[in-house]
Amino acid sequence: MSTASRRAQLSVSDILYKLLFYSTLGMFLLMVLVPLILVISASFRPLVEIYATDVYLIPKEPTIQPWIDGYEDLKPNLLNSLYIATGTVTIALVVAIPGAYAYARTSFPWKKPLFYIIILSLLFPHVLLVIPITDLWYDFGLYNTLPGVWLGHQTFVVPFAIWIMRDFFQKMPSNLEEAAQIYGCTQWSAFVRVVLPLAKPAIIAVLFLAFLNGWNDFLFANMVTDSRGPQPAVVQLYQTINGGSGEATDWQLLMSESLIIGLPPVTLYLFARRYISEAFAVSAS
Amino acid sequence: MYQWDMSSSRDSQEISPAEQTQEPAHYIDINGLRKTFSNGTVVAVDDFNLDIEEDEFVVFLGPSGCGKTTTLRCISGLELPDEGEVILNGRDVTFDKPKDRDLAFVFQNITLFPHMTVRENIRFGLDMKTDLSKDEKKRKVEETAELLDIAETLDRQPTALSGGQQQRVSIGRAMVMEPTAFLLDEPFANLDANLRDRMQTEIKRLQRELGKSMIFVTHDQEEAMTLGDKIVIMEDGEIQQVGTPYEIYNQPKNLFIAKFIGSPSTNIFEGTAKINGEEIYIETDDFEVRLPNVRASEFAASNGDMVFLGIRPEYMHVVPKSEGIFNAEIDVKELHGEHDAIYFTVGETPFTVTEPQGQVQDTERVKGVDFDTDKIWLFNEREERIH
Ligand SMILES: Nc1ncnc2c1ncn2[C@@H]1O[C@H](COP(=O)(O)OP(=O)(O)O)[C@@H](O)[C@H]1O
Ligand SMILES: [Mg+2]
Repeated sequence: MSTASRRAQLSVSDILYKLLFYSTLGMFLLMVLVPLILVISASFRPLVEIYATDVYLIPKEPTIQPWIDGYEDLKPNLLNSLYIATGTVTIALVVAIPGAYAYARTSFPWKKPLFYIIILSLLFPHVLLVIPITDLWYDFGLYNTLPGVWLGHQTFVVPFAIWIMRDFFQKMPSNLEEAAQIYGCTQWSAFVRVVLPLAKPAIIAVLFLAFLNGWNDFLFANMVTDSRGPQPAVVQLYQTINGGSGEATDWQLLMSESLIIGLPPVTLYLFARRYISEAFAVSAS
Repeated sequence: MYQWDMSSSRDSQEISPAEQTQEPAHYIDINGLRKTFSNGTVVAVDDFNLDIEEDEFVVFLGPSGCGKTTTLRCISGLELPDEGEVILNGRDVTFDKPKDRDLAFVFQNITLFPHMTVRENIRFGLDMKTDLSKDEKKRKVEETAELLDIAETLDRQPTALSGGQQQRVSIGRAMVMEPTAFLLDEPFANLDANLRDRMQTEIKRLQRELGKSMIFVTHDQEEAMTLGDKIVIMEDGEIQQVGTPYEIYNQPKNLFIAKFIGSPSTNIFEGTAKINGEEIYIETDDFEVRLPNVRASEFAASNGDMVFLGIRPEYMHVVPKSEGIFNAEIDVKELHGEHDAIYFTVGETPFTVTEPQGQVQDTERVKGVDFDTDKIWLFNEREERIH
């Protein structure tokens, strides 16, 4: 009898726990999903439905006009965003892969302090860098150029990328490269044939984060470009908010443009997801 | 039955009769090897000299940290020595890249390439170093896999295999290259006991079939004794003794080897030499024995010298109380293979005696202990064997 009542007690606390768990989960979901659903809903509405007084989710006369207008509006800037993001990714990988590998496999003077500096630079408020860099870029002739934007992003992306990659290389047993060298590889070809393929998860994680940074960054791109230069889509979105037709904000346009800008990173994430979780897993194998 | 195709190997084709007459004295020659780490503060290997013949199975044996791996890495080119030379088949390879040495290396922790199938792993060296046709590579890989009993795993990923299978693949990756010599660094250390025994038998058989030298590193003296034609005992980066398993077991050069080899390990008693005319006695705090078959004039110690007396457990005997050289009390009795190992303490010195199973009853704790006095070893203060 006593065991039965204890079991009953247990199940009460079990139920309480589950209740709490699912209600918390549900709340978070609502916080994320409700705005998203509203945005999607708004992006398919004609202007008259934007300021409708009654609340409903499915537009009465759905239209894809906001998407067409939004796309037309953003087209050149989307291309700029793509150039900026790809360039940021490429430079980050070219610098971080060999750099992180050297960190993981060789010893050189000042190795440790230098690494702490790299990590510390991540904690540095990057907003503070924007003004001096803009100033410098003017002097170097990098203002309003793609390389200017690419390089600016590296201040954050490269330290981060080196951190991730170094961790990954360190976890990889060096015996693997040595085995490759025994069976016919040079140090370089062992790196290409064995290390790089095995570092795929870390490389993809870095690629994704660098892309995200390059694609989404507003602050920096806004400072070092203007409408005559390689201005990315996020900055153009900002113009849409301010600009409009003078009297009212084009909410449907704003929403569709937000979604258009959000789509590429989301798609990329879906492809990269598997690797990203692998790269950040506690142990590599 | 599989036949290893030696006739097609490069070496035998290219050596002309003229060259054969000036063949090197030894297949592998290691001279004065020295390797330090951390700016010379850690001496991993020092003054290492060794000759190895073409068909020899050599075992490097020593406690962990004694420099076995470092020596092997210097031979393979994964480390460059500070001093000394490595000569393979008459060619000085001391500073050659690992890939140019024609050696195979099997690592302690398994180093298969996880992004390749077993087949691709075994084929790796052939892909990198040879320009054999696809079919020929396939044939070699499959023959090797057949020989190592891993043919059915060829198209799996290495991570899907058991530890034993993975180490076979490592050996296969080495074998398929038909290397000058095989270097194996504690390859079976991570396998369970049964599997290890089986792999030992197989690797020995394989070495005999291939007729190529193998250098096998282990810290396990039983493994070394089972496998080696020649055992190289190392301690603190230096060679202590080189010899056949019989020599190592029966004629250890120093105290370290006497204690390290054999299980249970050799008993050591501290004492002094007493010379009385032509007769030699060893006196310890607890007993005195006379050394047979040796005359004082040929004896390497003087009266009063401090010596270590060493004797293997199998050369000591338990006899009834007061009938032996001295009496001692039994601590514990353990089954040790076909023998009982009986642990005693006399004074402060623990020692062990082995007797056939069940022969000694431990109801009465105090026993007499006797020696085969002709099996006694003596070591001087510097721990070198003098008798
Ligand atoms: N890369 C290294 N850096 C510093 N010390 C090392 C390195 N490799 C080995 N050692 C040192 O050299 C000695 C011999 O090591 P090792 O050859 O691995 O011994 P074993 O294989 O016999 O266990 C040890 O004291 C070890 O700490
Ligand atoms: Mg070792």
